[in-house]
Amino acid sequence: MTNFLEILIRGLMLGSVYALVGMGLTLVWGVVGIVNIAHGEFVMLGAYFAFWIFSFFHLNPLISVALSLPFFFLIGTMIHKRITERLTNAPELSALILTFGMSILIWNLAQFFWTNTYRSVPYLTGNFSVMGLILAKSKTVSFFLALGITLSLFAFLKYSKMGKGIRATSQNSEVALVCGIDTKKMRALTFGMGIALAGAAGAIVSLQWVIFPQMGGSYVSKAFAIVVLGGLGNVQGALVGGFIIGVLESLVTQYMSAKMAQIIPSLIILIILLLKPTGLFKK
Amino acid sequence: MGKKFERTQIIIGFILFMAFLISIPFFASDYWMTLLVLILIYTVYASGWNLFSGLTGYTNFGLAWFIGISGYLSSILIADYQWFWLLAWPMGGLLVSILSMGVGYILLRIKGVYFAISMVALTEGTRELFGTGYLEPITHGGKGIPFVAGIRLPTLYWSILFLAFATVFICYKITSSRFGLRLVAIREDEQAAETLGIHTTKEKIIAFALSAFLVGLGGAIHCTYQNYIDPNYAFNIQLTLTPIVMTLFGGIGTVFGPVLGATLFTFIHEILWAELTLLYMAIFGAILMILILFFPQGLLGWMKEKGILPKIRKI
Repeated sequence: MTNFLEILIRGLMLGSVYALVGMGLTLVWGVVGIVNIAHGEFVMLGAYFAFWIFSFFHLNPLISVALSLPFFFLIGTMIHKRITERLTNAPELSALILTFGMSILIWNLAQFFWTNTYRSVPYLTGNFSVMGLILAKSKTVSFFLALGITLSLFAFLKYSKMGKGIRATSQNSEVALVCGIDTKKMRALTFGMGIALAGAAGAIVSLQWVIFPQMGGSYVSKAFAIVVLGGLGNVQGALVGGFIIGVLESLVTQYMSAKMAQIIPSLIILIILLLKPTGLFKK
Repeated sequence: MGKKFERTQIIIGFILFMAFLISIPFFASDYWMTLLVLILIYTVYASGWNLFSGLTGYTNFGLAWFIGISGYLSSILIADYQWFWLLAWPMGGLLVSILSMGVGYILLRIKGVYFAISMVALTEGTRELFGTGYLEPITHGGKGIPFVAGIRLPTLYWSILFLAFATVFICYKITSSRFGLRLVAIREDEQAAETLGIHTTKEKIIAFALSAFLVGLGGAIHCTYQNYIDPNYAFNIQLTLTPIVMTLFGGIGTVFGPVLGATLFTFIHEILWAELTLLYMAIFGAILMILILFFPQGLLGWMKEKGILPKIRKI
Protein backbone atom coordinates (compact mmCIF):
# COMPACT_ATOMS: atom_id res chain seq x y z
CA MET A 1 0.00 0.00 0.00
CA THR A 2 2.73 2.46 0.93
CA ASN A 3 4.48 1.35 -2.21
CA PHE A 4 1.43 2.20 -4.31
CA LEU A 5 1.04 5.55 -2.56
CA GLU A 6 4.69 6.30 -3.24
CA ILE A 7 4.26 5.56 -6.94
CA LEU A 8 1.20 7.80 -7.00
CA ILE A 9 3.05 10.67 -5.34
CA ARG A 10 6.00 10.20 -7.63
CA GLY A 11 3.59 10.43 -10.57
CA LEU A 12 2.06 13.64 -9.26
CA MET A 13 5.50 15.17 -8.80
CA LEU A 14 6.46 14.16 -12.33
CA GLY A 15 3.17 15.51 -13.59
CA SER A 16 3.67 18.93 -12.04
CA VAL A 17 6.76 19.49 -14.20
CA TYR A 18 5.07 18.10 -17.32
CA ALA A 19 2.14 20.40 -16.64
CA LEU A 20 4.47 23.39 -16.65
CA VAL A 21 5.71 22.44 -20.11
CA GLY A 22 2.17 21.71 -21.31
CA MET A 23 0.78 25.01 -20.01
CA GLY A 24 3.37 26.94 -22.00
CA LEU A 25 2.47 25.05 -25.15
CA THR A 26 -1.26 25.41 -24.69
CA LEU A 27 -0.97 29.15 -23.98
CA VAL A 28 1.06 29.84 -27.11
CA TRP A 29 -1.12 27.59 -29.23
CA GLY A 30 -4.39 28.97 -27.91
CA VAL A 31 -3.53 32.67 -27.87
CA VAL A 32 -0.90 33.14 -30.57
CA GLY A 33 -2.22 30.35 -32.81
CA ILE A 34 1.24 28.90 -33.31
CA VAL A 35 1.91 25.23 -32.70
CA ASN A 36 5.38 25.36 -31.28
CA ILE A 37 7.17 22.08 -31.97
CA ALA A 38 10.37 23.71 -30.71
CA HIS A 39 8.79 24.01 -27.25
CA GLY A 40 10.72 20.99 -25.98
CA GLU A 41 13.98 22.55 -27.11
CA PHE A 42 13.37 25.46 -24.76
CA VAL A 43 12.99 22.97 -21.94
CA MET A 44 16.42 21.68 -22.91
CA LEU A 45 17.84 25.20 -23.06
CA GLY A 46 16.36 25.94 -19.63
CA ALA A 47 18.04 22.85 -18.23
CA TYR A 48 21.40 23.87 -19.69
CA PHE A 49 20.86 27.42 -18.44
CA ALA A 50 20.57 26.11 -14.89
CA PHE A 51 23.47 23.74 -15.41
CA TRP A 52 25.90 26.41 -16.66
CA ILE A 53 24.91 28.89 -13.97
CA PHE A 54 25.53 26.18 -11.39
CA SER A 55 28.90 25.12 -12.80
CA PHE A 56 30.26 28.62 -13.54
CA PHE A 57 28.91 30.74 -10.71
CA HIS A 58 28.06 28.00 -8.20
CA LEU A 59 24.76 29.71 -7.56
CA ASN A 60 22.02 27.81 -5.82
CA PRO A 61 19.91 26.08 -8.55
CA LEU A 62 16.79 27.52 -6.97
CA ILE A 63 18.05 30.98 -7.93
CA SER A 64 18.63 29.86 -11.50
CA VAL A 65 15.03 28.64 -11.67
CA ALA A 66 13.96 32.16 -10.67
CA LEU A 67 16.39 33.71 -13.16
CA SER A 68 15.26 31.46 -15.99
CA LEU A 69 11.78 32.99 -16.03
CA PRO A 70 12.73 36.57 -17.07
CA PHE A 71 15.60 35.32 -19.23
CA PHE A 72 13.45 33.01 -21.34
CA PHE A 73 10.62 35.52 -21.38
CA LEU A 74 12.94 37.96 -23.15
CA ILE A 75 14.17 35.30 -25.55
CA GLY A 76 10.60 34.28 -26.33
CA THR A 77 9.35 37.78 -27.07
CA MET A 78 12.41 38.40 -29.25
CA ILE A 79 11.83 35.21 -31.25
CA HIS A 80 8.21 36.18 -31.72
CA LYS A 81 9.03 39.73 -32.85
CA ARG A 82 11.72 38.56 -35.27
CA ILE A 83 10.32 35.32 -36.63
CA THR A 84 6.96 33.92 -35.67
CA GLU A 85 5.04 37.19 -35.89
CA ARG A 86 5.27 36.94 -39.68
CA LEU A 87 3.12 33.84 -39.52
CA THR A 88 0.15 35.42 -37.72
CA ASN A 89 -2.09 35.13 -40.77
CA ALA A 90 -0.35 32.23 -42.52
CA PRO A 91 -1.88 28.75 -42.47
CA GLU A 92 -1.40 26.85 -39.21
CA LEU A 93 0.75 24.27 -40.94
CA SER A 94 3.40 26.80 -41.99
CA ALA A 95 4.02 27.48 -38.32
CA LEU A 96 4.18 23.75 -37.68
CA ILE A 97 6.92 23.24 -40.27
CA LEU A 98 8.75 26.43 -39.29
CA THR A 99 8.96 25.47 -35.63
CA PHE A 100 10.00 21.96 -36.64
CA GLY A 101 12.95 23.58 -38.41
CA MET A 102 13.62 25.72 -35.35
CA SER A 103 13.58 22.65 -33.13
CA ILE A 104 16.16 20.84 -35.27
CA LEU A 105 18.31 23.97 -35.48
CA ILE A 106 18.34 24.45 -31.71
CA TRP A 107 19.12 20.89 -30.67
CA ASN A 108 21.81 20.46 -33.26
CA LEU A 109 23.49 23.71 -32.20
CA ALA A 110 23.28 22.57 -28.59
CA GLN A 111 24.82 19.25 -29.57
CA PHE A 112 27.56 21.06 -31.48
CA PHE A 113 28.54 23.41 -28.69
CA TRP A 114 27.86 21.29 -25.61
CA THR A 115 28.38 17.75 -27.03
CA ASN A 116 26.21 14.76 -26.30
CA THR A 117 27.57 14.22 -22.80
CA TYR A 118 24.92 13.52 -20.18
CA ARG A 119 25.10 16.17 -17.48
CA SER A 120 23.35 16.83 -14.22
CA VAL A 121 23.23 19.34 -11.41
CA PRO A 122 24.33 17.59 -8.22
CA TYR A 123 22.10 19.32 -5.73
CA LEU A 124 19.77 18.11 -3.00
CA THR A 125 20.66 14.46 -3.21
CA GLY A 126 19.12 12.20 -0.61
CA ASN A 127 15.62 11.47 0.61
CA PHE A 128 12.97 12.77 2.93
CA SER A 129 11.06 10.30 5.00
CA VAL A 130 7.51 11.42 5.69
CA MET A 131 5.10 9.09 7.48
CA GLY A 132 6.88 6.01 6.23
CA LEU A 133 7.04 7.31 2.65
CA ILE A 134 10.45 7.81 1.11
CA LEU A 135 10.58 10.83 -1.18
CA ALA A 136 13.59 12.15 -3.06
CA LYS A 137 14.53 15.63 -1.82
CA SER A 138 15.15 17.07 -5.29
CA LYS A 139 11.79 15.84 -6.57
CA THR A 140 9.87 17.21 -3.62
CA VAL A 141 11.47 20.62 -3.96
CA SER A 142 10.82 20.57 -7.71
CA PHE A 143 7.21 19.71 -7.11
CA PHE A 144 6.66 22.73 -4.89
CA LEU A 145 8.59 24.99 -7.27
CA ALA A 146 6.47 23.86 -10.21
CA LEU A 147 3.29 24.25 -8.19
CA GLY A 148 4.34 27.74 -7.10
CA ILE A 149 4.97 28.86 -10.68
CA THR A 150 1.67 27.31 -11.79
CA LEU A 151 -0.31 29.12 -9.11
CA SER A 152 1.32 32.46 -9.88
CA LEU A 153 0.49 31.94 -13.54
CA PHE A 154 -3.16 31.28 -12.68
CA ALA A 155 -3.28 34.38 -10.50
CA PHE A 156 -1.62 36.45 -13.21
CA LEU A 157 -4.07 35.33 -15.88
CA LYS A 158 -7.07 35.80 -13.63
CA TYR A 159 -6.42 39.07 -11.83
CA SER A 160 -3.83 41.19 -13.61
CA LYS A 161 -4.83 43.58 -16.36
CA MET A 162 -2.40 42.00 -18.77
CA GLY A 163 -3.69 38.53 -17.98
CA LYS A 164 -7.21 39.67 -18.75
CA GLY A 165 -5.94 41.12 -22.02
CA ILE A 166 -4.36 37.80 -22.90
CA ARG A 167 -7.54 35.89 -22.12
CA ALA A 168 -9.57 38.35 -24.17
CA THR A 169 -7.20 37.91 -27.12
CA SER A 170 -7.52 34.17 -26.79
CA GLN A 171 -11.31 34.24 -26.75
CA ASN A 172 -11.86 36.62 -29.64
CA SER A 173 -8.92 38.55 -30.98
CA GLU A 174 -10.99 40.84 -33.22
CA VAL A 175 -13.36 41.98 -30.52
CA ALA A 176 -10.41 42.38 -28.16
CA LEU A 177 -8.79 44.67 -30.72
CA VAL A 178 -11.98 46.71 -30.98
CA CYS A 179 -12.04 47.05 -27.18
CA GLY A 180 -8.65 48.70 -27.28
CA ILE A 181 -6.46 45.75 -26.39
CA ASP A 182 -3.15 45.70 -28.22
CA THR A 183 -3.53 42.10 -29.43
CA LYS A 184 -0.19 42.16 -31.21
CA LYS A 185 1.56 42.99 -27.97
CA MET A 186 -0.52 40.40 -26.10
CA ARG A 187 0.57 37.71 -28.56
CA ALA A 188 4.22 38.64 -28.12
CA LEU A 189 3.81 38.59 -24.33
CA THR A 190 2.09 35.22 -24.44
CA PHE A 191 4.77 33.74 -26.65
CA GLY A 192 7.35 35.02 -24.19
CA MET A 193 5.42 33.55 -21.27
CA GLY A 194 5.12 30.19 -22.98
CA ILE A 195 8.86 30.07 -23.58
CA ALA A 196 9.51 31.25 -20.02
CA LEU A 197 7.40 28.39 -18.68
CA ALA A 198 9.32 25.90 -20.81
CA GLY A 199 12.64 27.38 -19.67
CA ALA A 200 11.67 27.28 -16.01
CA ALA A 201 10.45 23.71 -16.41
CA GLY A 202 13.83 22.88 -17.91
CA ALA A 203 15.66 24.48 -15.00
CA ILE A 204 13.54 22.38 -12.64
CA VAL A 205 14.15 19.25 -14.69
CA SER A 206 17.91 19.74 -14.37
CA LEU A 207 17.54 19.32 -10.59
CA GLN A 208 16.25 15.78 -10.87
CA TRP A 209 17.29 14.14 -14.13
CA VAL A 210 20.26 14.03 -16.48
CA ILE A 211 20.20 16.54 -19.31
CA PHE A 212 21.34 16.20 -22.92
CA PRO A 213 20.75 18.11 -26.18
CA GLN A 214 18.03 15.82 -27.54
CA MET A 215 15.94 15.64 -24.38
CA GLY A 216 13.35 18.09 -25.79
CA GLY A 217 11.58 15.52 -27.96
CA SER A 218 10.14 13.50 -25.11
CA TYR A 219 8.89 16.64 -23.37
CA VAL A 220 7.20 18.03 -26.43
CA SER A 221 5.33 14.79 -27.09
CA LYS A 222 4.12 14.77 -23.49
CA ALA A 223 3.18 18.44 -23.79
CA PHE A 224 1.11 17.66 -26.87
CA ALA A 225 -0.69 14.89 -25.03
CA ILE A 226 -1.37 17.36 -22.20
CA VAL A 227 -2.76 19.99 -24.57
CA VAL A 228 -4.99 17.41 -26.22
CA LEU A 229 -6.17 16.14 -22.82
CA GLY A 230 -6.81 19.55 -21.34
CA GLY A 231 -8.25 21.18 -24.43
CA LEU A 232 -6.59 23.81 -26.58
CA GLY A 233 -5.69 26.98 -24.69
CA ASN A 234 -7.08 25.65 -21.41
CA VAL A 235 -4.41 26.26 -18.76
CA GLN A 236 -6.24 24.60 -15.86
CA GLY A 237 -6.97 21.64 -18.12
CA ALA A 238 -3.26 21.42 -18.85
CA LEU A 239 -2.47 21.17 -15.15
CA VAL A 240 -4.87 18.25 -14.73
CA GLY A 241 -3.58 16.72 -17.96
CA GLY A 242 -0.04 16.96 -16.67
CA PHE A 243 -0.97 15.12 -13.49
CA ILE A 244 -2.77 12.42 -15.49
CA ILE A 245 0.24 11.86 -17.74
CA GLY A 246 2.65 11.87 -14.80
CA VAL A 247 0.66 9.34 -12.76
CA LEU A 248 0.08 7.08 -15.76
CA GLU A 249 3.77 7.15 -16.63
CA SER A 250 4.73 6.33 -13.05
CA LEU A 251 2.24 3.44 -12.85
CA VAL A 252 3.16 1.93 -16.22
CA THR A 253 6.87 2.20 -15.50
CA GLN A 254 6.34 0.35 -12.25
CA TYR A 255 3.96 -2.37 -13.36
CA MET A 256 4.85 -2.88 -17.04
CA SER A 257 8.09 -1.43 -18.37
CA ALA A 258 9.80 1.91 -18.93
CA LYS A 259 9.63 1.29 -22.66
CA MET A 260 5.83 0.95 -22.53
CA ALA A 261 5.64 4.22 -20.60
CA GLN A 262 7.09 5.96 -23.65
CA ILE A 263 4.04 4.93 -25.69
CA ILE A 264 1.56 6.62 -23.33
CA PRO A 265 1.66 10.15 -24.81
CA SER A 266 1.11 8.84 -28.35
CA LEU A 267 -1.68 6.56 -27.19
CA ILE A 268 -3.42 9.36 -25.28
CA ILE A 269 -3.21 11.73 -28.24
CA LEU A 270 -4.77 9.16 -30.56
CA ILE A 271 -7.51 8.07 -28.15
CA ILE A 272 -8.54 11.58 -27.09
CA LEU A 273 -8.53 12.99 -30.61
CA LEU A 274 -10.76 10.14 -31.72
CA LEU A 275 -13.21 10.14 -28.83
CA LYS A 276 -13.31 13.72 -27.62
CA PRO A 277 -11.26 16.10 -29.77
CA THR A 278 -12.18 19.13 -27.64
CA GLY A 279 -10.34 17.74 -24.61
CA LEU A 280 -11.68 16.39 -21.35
CA PHE A 281 -12.81 19.68 -19.87
CA LYS A 282 -15.23 22.36 -20.93
CA LYS A 283 -13.56 25.71 -21.10
CA MET B 1 1.49 23.91 -85.94
CA GLY B 2 4.10 25.33 -83.61
CA LYS B 3 2.47 23.70 -80.65
CA LYS B 4 2.55 20.25 -82.26
CA PHE B 5 6.23 20.70 -83.02
CA GLU B 6 6.90 21.52 -79.39
CA ARG B 7 5.06 18.41 -78.32
CA THR B 8 7.18 16.08 -80.50
CA GLN B 9 10.27 17.82 -79.21
CA ILE B 10 9.24 17.20 -75.64
CA ILE B 11 8.51 13.53 -76.36
CA ILE B 12 11.87 12.99 -78.10
CA GLY B 13 13.68 14.76 -75.31
CA PHE B 14 11.89 12.62 -72.75
CA ILE B 15 12.74 9.36 -74.56
CA LEU B 16 16.42 10.35 -74.80
CA PHE B 17 16.43 11.27 -71.12
CA MET B 18 14.88 7.94 -70.11
CA ALA B 19 17.33 6.02 -72.34
CA PHE B 20 20.16 7.85 -70.62
CA LEU B 21 18.81 7.04 -67.15
CA ILE B 22 18.31 3.36 -68.04
CA SER B 23 21.82 3.04 -69.48
CA ILE B 24 23.54 4.61 -66.48
CA PRO B 25 24.54 1.30 -64.79
CA PHE B 26 26.68 0.43 -67.83
CA PHE B 27 29.12 3.27 -67.39
CA ALA B 28 28.62 5.03 -64.04
CA SER B 29 30.73 4.33 -60.96
CA ASP B 30 29.21 2.81 -57.82
CA TYR B 31 29.33 6.16 -56.05
CA TRP B 32 27.14 7.84 -58.65
CA MET B 33 24.84 4.84 -58.71
CA THR B 34 24.21 4.97 -54.98
CA LEU B 35 23.65 8.71 -55.22
CA LEU B 36 21.12 8.18 -57.99
CA VAL B 37 19.39 5.41 -56.06
CA LEU B 38 18.99 7.80 -53.13
CA ILE B 39 17.67 10.56 -55.39
CA LEU B 40 15.13 8.16 -56.87
CA ILE B 41 14.05 6.82 -53.48
CA TYR B 42 13.50 10.36 -52.23
CA THR B 43 11.70 11.24 -55.45
CA VAL B 44 9.23 8.46 -54.66
CA TYR B 45 8.85 9.65 -51.07
CA ALA B 46 8.47 13.32 -51.99
CA SER B 47 6.09 12.71 -54.89
CA GLY B 48 4.08 10.25 -52.84
CA TRP B 49 3.83 12.76 -50.00
CA ASN B 50 2.92 15.53 -52.41
CA LEU B 51 0.25 13.37 -54.04
CA PHE B 52 -1.74 13.37 -50.83
CA SER B 53 -0.62 16.40 -48.84
CA GLY B 54 0.16 18.77 -51.69
CA LEU B 55 -3.24 18.24 -53.27
CA THR B 56 -5.54 17.86 -50.27
CA GLY B 57 -3.74 20.22 -47.91
CA TYR B 58 -3.73 17.64 -45.09
CA THR B 59 -0.13 17.65 -43.90
CA ASN B 60 0.90 14.05 -43.43
CA PHE B 61 3.59 13.81 -40.78
CA GLY B 62 3.44 10.02 -40.87
CA LEU B 63 5.50 9.24 -43.95
CA ALA B 64 7.95 7.30 -41.79
CA TRP B 65 5.04 5.13 -40.66
CA PHE B 66 4.36 4.11 -44.28
CA ILE B 67 8.04 3.44 -44.83
CA GLY B 68 8.52 1.57 -41.57
CA ILE B 69 5.48 -0.72 -41.82
CA SER B 70 6.18 -1.65 -45.42
CA GLY B 71 9.92 -1.93 -44.83
CA TYR B 72 9.33 -4.23 -41.87
CA LEU B 73 6.96 -6.60 -43.66
CA SER B 74 9.15 -6.89 -46.76
CA SER B 75 12.34 -7.28 -44.70
CA ILE B 76 10.78 -9.98 -42.51
CA LEU B 77 9.52 -11.83 -45.59
CA ILE B 78 12.96 -11.68 -47.19
CA ALA B 79 14.99 -12.40 -44.05
CA ASP B 80 12.84 -14.96 -42.20
CA TYR B 81 10.80 -16.57 -44.97
CA GLN B 82 13.34 -16.34 -47.83
CA TRP B 83 10.89 -14.62 -50.16
CA PHE B 84 12.07 -13.34 -53.50
CA TRP B 85 12.54 -9.56 -53.22
CA LEU B 86 10.31 -8.74 -56.15
CA LEU B 87 7.41 -10.51 -54.40
CA ALA B 88 8.20 -9.14 -50.95
CA TRP B 89 8.18 -5.47 -51.94
CA PRO B 90 4.56 -5.28 -53.20
CA MET B 91 3.44 -7.16 -50.08
CA GLY B 92 4.85 -4.31 -47.96
CA GLY B 93 3.20 -1.69 -50.14
CA LEU B 94 -0.08 -3.56 -50.11
CA LEU B 95 -0.11 -4.01 -46.35
CA VAL B 96 0.58 -0.36 -45.65
CA SER B 97 -2.02 0.83 -48.14
CA ILE B 98 -4.66 -1.45 -46.58
CA LEU B 99 -3.69 -0.31 -43.08
CA SER B 100 -3.68 3.31 -44.18
CA MET B 101 -7.26 2.96 -45.37
CA GLY B 102 -8.22 2.03 -41.83
CA VAL B 103 -6.05 4.76 -40.35
CA GLY B 104 -7.35 7.27 -42.87
CA TYR B 105 -10.96 6.30 -42.15
CA ILE B 106 -10.37 7.17 -38.51
CA LEU B 107 -7.83 9.99 -38.61
CA LEU B 108 -8.81 11.89 -41.75
CA ARG B 109 -11.82 13.25 -39.91
CA ILE B 110 -9.39 15.25 -37.80
CA LYS B 111 -8.37 18.49 -39.42
CA GLY B 112 -5.19 20.51 -39.76
CA VAL B 113 -2.60 20.43 -37.06
CA TYR B 114 -4.38 17.70 -35.11
CA PHE B 115 -4.12 15.35 -38.07
CA ALA B 116 -0.41 16.09 -38.37
CA ILE B 117 0.13 15.47 -34.66
CA SER B 118 -1.86 12.26 -34.59
CA MET B 119 0.21 10.92 -37.49
CA VAL B 120 3.39 11.76 -35.57
CA ALA B 121 1.90 10.07 -32.52
CA LEU B 122 1.05 6.99 -34.60
CA THR B 123 4.59 6.81 -35.97
CA GLU B 124 6.26 7.31 -32.62
CA GLY B 125 3.92 4.87 -30.90
CA THR B 126 4.57 2.20 -33.53
CA ARG B 127 8.30 2.81 -33.28
CA GLU B 128 8.28 2.28 -29.53
CA LEU B 129 5.96 -0.71 -29.84
CA PHE B 130 8.22 -2.42 -32.40
CA GLY B 131 11.14 -2.00 -30.04
CA THR B 132 9.44 -3.55 -27.00
CA GLY B 133 9.62 -7.19 -26.00
CA TYR B 134 5.93 -7.74 -26.81
CA LEU B 135 6.51 -7.93 -30.56
CA GLU B 136 9.98 -9.42 -30.36
CA PRO B 137 9.08 -12.79 -31.97
CA ILE B 138 8.02 -10.95 -35.13
CA THR B 139 10.10 -7.78 -35.25
CA HIS B 140 13.24 -9.04 -33.47
CA GLY B 141 12.82 -6.16 -31.01
CA GLY B 142 15.16 -3.21 -30.88
CA LYS B 143 18.21 -5.00 -32.20
CA GLY B 144 16.90 -4.96 -35.77
CA ILE B 145 17.08 -7.38 -38.68
CA PRO B 146 20.19 -7.52 -40.85
CA PHE B 147 19.57 -9.42 -44.09
CA VAL B 148 20.88 -10.00 -47.59
CA ALA B 149 18.33 -9.93 -50.38
CA GLY B 150 20.71 -11.10 -53.08
CA ILE B 151 19.98 -8.20 -55.39
CA ARG B 152 22.70 -6.46 -57.36
CA LEU B 153 22.99 -2.69 -57.47
CA PRO B 154 22.02 -2.26 -61.17
CA THR B 155 18.85 -4.35 -60.69
CA LEU B 156 17.97 -2.32 -57.63
CA TYR B 157 18.60 0.86 -59.59
CA TRP B 158 16.30 -0.20 -62.41
CA SER B 159 13.57 -1.21 -59.98
CA ILE B 160 13.64 2.10 -58.15
CA LEU B 161 13.90 3.97 -61.47
CA PHE B 162 10.76 2.20 -62.65
CA LEU B 163 8.96 2.96 -59.40
CA ALA B 164 10.00 6.63 -59.45
CA PHE B 165 8.87 6.96 -63.04
CA ALA B 166 5.54 5.27 -62.25
CA THR B 167 5.03 7.52 -59.22
CA VAL B 168 5.66 10.74 -61.12
CA PHE B 169 3.49 9.49 -63.99
CA ILE B 170 0.63 8.72 -61.59
CA CYS B 171 1.00 12.15 -59.99
CA TYR B 172 0.98 13.75 -63.43
CA LYS B 173 -2.14 11.85 -64.48
CA ILE B 174 -3.92 12.59 -61.21
CA THR B 175 -3.20 16.33 -61.09
CA SER B 176 -4.60 16.74 -64.57
CA SER B 177 -7.64 14.55 -63.88
CA ARG B 178 -11.04 15.25 -62.37
CA PHE B 179 -9.98 13.26 -59.30
CA GLY B 180 -7.08 15.69 -58.82
CA LEU B 181 -9.45 18.62 -59.19
CA ARG B 182 -11.67 17.17 -56.48
CA LEU B 183 -8.66 16.82 -54.18
CA VAL B 184 -7.65 20.44 -54.81
CA ALA B 185 -11.23 21.48 -54.10
CA ILE B 186 -10.91 19.78 -50.71
CA ARG B 187 -7.71 21.72 -50.06
CA GLU B 188 -9.22 25.07 -50.98
CA ASP B 189 -12.48 24.69 -49.08
CA GLU B 190 -13.58 21.34 -47.78
CA GLN B 191 -17.06 22.44 -46.79
CA ALA B 192 -17.75 24.00 -50.17
CA ALA B 193 -16.44 20.86 -51.87
CA GLU B 194 -18.83 18.76 -49.82
CA THR B 195 -21.74 21.04 -50.70
CA LEU B 196 -20.92 20.57 -54.37
CA GLY B 197 -21.42 16.84 -53.97
CA ILE B 198 -17.86 15.63 -53.53
CA HIS B 199 -17.62 12.66 -51.21
CA THR B 200 -14.65 14.21 -49.40
CA THR B 201 -13.89 11.36 -46.99
CA LYS B 202 -13.81 8.80 -49.82
CA GLU B 203 -11.58 10.93 -52.03
CA LYS B 204 -9.19 11.64 -49.17
CA ILE B 205 -8.93 7.97 -48.24
CA ILE B 206 -8.25 6.93 -51.85
CA ALA B 207 -5.49 9.52 -52.20
CA PHE B 208 -4.09 8.58 -48.79
CA ALA B 209 -3.98 4.86 -49.59
CA LEU B 210 -2.43 5.47 -53.01
CA SER B 211 0.22 7.69 -51.43
CA ALA B 212 0.82 4.98 -48.82
CA PHE B 213 1.20 2.29 -51.47
CA LEU B 214 3.78 4.22 -53.50
CA VAL B 215 5.74 5.43 -50.48
CA GLY B 216 5.53 1.93 -48.98
CA LEU B 217 7.02 0.37 -52.10
CA GLY B 218 9.79 2.96 -51.95
CA GLY B 219 10.33 2.14 -48.28
CA ALA B 220 10.58 -1.59 -48.99
CA ILE B 221 13.22 -0.96 -51.67
CA HIS B 222 15.01 1.47 -49.36
CA CYS B 223 15.30 -1.17 -46.61
CA THR B 224 16.49 -3.80 -49.08
CA TYR B 225 19.06 -1.33 -50.31
CA GLN B 226 20.29 -0.75 -46.74
CA ASN B 227 20.23 -4.52 -46.00
CA TYR B 228 19.10 -3.65 -42.51
CA ILE B 229 16.08 -2.52 -40.55
CA ASP B 230 15.43 -1.52 -36.94
CA PRO B 231 12.63 0.53 -35.34
CA ASN B 232 14.67 3.69 -34.82
CA TYR B 233 15.86 3.62 -38.37
CA ALA B 234 12.65 2.65 -40.14
CA PHE B 235 10.32 4.96 -38.21
CA ASN B 236 12.80 7.82 -37.98
CA ILE B 237 11.20 11.26 -38.05
CA GLN B 238 13.97 12.22 -40.47
CA LEU B 239 12.34 10.01 -43.11
CA THR B 240 9.19 12.10 -42.76
CA LEU B 241 10.90 15.45 -42.70
CA THR B 242 13.36 15.14 -45.56
CA PRO B 243 10.74 14.48 -48.28
CA ILE B 244 8.61 17.32 -46.93
CA VAL B 245 11.54 19.72 -47.13
CA MET B 246 12.30 18.49 -50.64
CA THR B 247 8.72 19.06 -51.73
CA LEU B 248 8.62 22.52 -50.18
CA PHE B 249 11.92 23.28 -51.84
CA GLY B 250 10.75 22.21 -55.29
CA GLY B 251 7.21 23.48 -55.01
CA ILE B 252 4.30 21.97 -53.10
CA GLY B 253 1.27 20.86 -55.11
CA THR B 254 3.18 20.73 -58.41
CA VAL B 255 4.04 17.57 -60.36
CA PHE B 256 7.74 18.10 -60.94
CA GLY B 257 8.48 20.15 -57.84
CA PRO B 258 9.16 17.08 -55.66
CA VAL B 259 11.41 15.57 -58.36
CA LEU B 260 13.41 18.78 -58.63
CA GLY B 261 13.51 19.13 -54.85
CA ALA B 262 14.65 15.55 -54.30
CA THR B 263 17.42 15.85 -56.89
CA LEU B 264 18.80 19.20 -55.74
CA PHE B 265 18.39 18.40 -52.09
CA THR B 266 20.19 15.06 -52.29
CA PHE B 267 23.20 16.86 -53.75
CA ILE B 268 23.03 19.55 -51.06
CA HIS B 269 22.78 16.75 -48.51
CA GLU B 270 25.87 15.01 -49.94
CA ILE B 271 27.95 18.18 -49.80
CA LEU B 272 26.76 19.25 -46.36
CA TRP B 273 27.12 15.76 -44.93
CA ALA B 274 30.66 15.47 -46.20
CA GLU B 275 31.78 18.97 -45.20
CA LEU B 276 29.75 19.86 -42.12
CA THR B 277 28.60 16.61 -40.55
CA LEU B 278 28.19 18.02 -37.07
CA LEU B 279 26.11 20.99 -38.13
CA TYR B 280 24.17 19.17 -40.83
CA MET B 281 20.89 19.09 -38.95
CA ALA B 282 21.17 22.73 -37.91
CA ILE B 283 21.58 23.82 -41.52
CA PHE B 284 18.70 21.55 -42.47
CA GLY B 285 16.52 23.26 -39.88
CA ALA B 286 17.61 26.71 -40.98
CA ILE B 287 16.78 25.89 -44.62
CA LEU B 288 13.35 24.72 -43.51
CA MET B 289 12.72 28.01 -41.68
CA ILE B 290 13.94 30.16 -44.56
CA LEU B 291 11.77 28.24 -47.03
CA ILE B 292 8.62 28.76 -44.97
CA LEU B 293 9.35 32.42 -44.26
CA PHE B 294 10.51 33.61 -47.65
CA PHE B 295 9.69 31.04 -50.37
CA PRO B 296 6.51 29.28 -49.30
CA GLN B 297 5.62 28.40 -52.91
CA GLY B 298 8.96 26.69 -53.69
CA LEU B 299 11.23 26.78 -56.72
CA LEU B 300 8.66 25.72 -59.34
CA GLY B 301 6.00 27.95 -57.84
CA TRP B 302 8.42 30.84 -58.01
CA MET B 303 9.27 30.07 -61.64
CA LYS B 304 5.58 29.93 -62.50
CA GLU B 305 5.02 33.27 -60.83
CA LYS B 306 7.91 34.91 -62.70
CA GLY B 307 6.60 33.59 -66.00
CA ILE B 308 9.56 31.29 -66.69
CA LEU B 309 7.16 28.35 -66.72
CA PRO B 310 3.51 28.41 -67.79
CA LYS B 311 0.97 28.48 -65.00
CA ILE B 312 -0.62 25.11 -65.63
CA ARG B 313 -1.38 22.31 -63.23
CA LYS B 314 0.41 19.72 -65.39
CA ILE B 315 3.80 21.06 -64.28
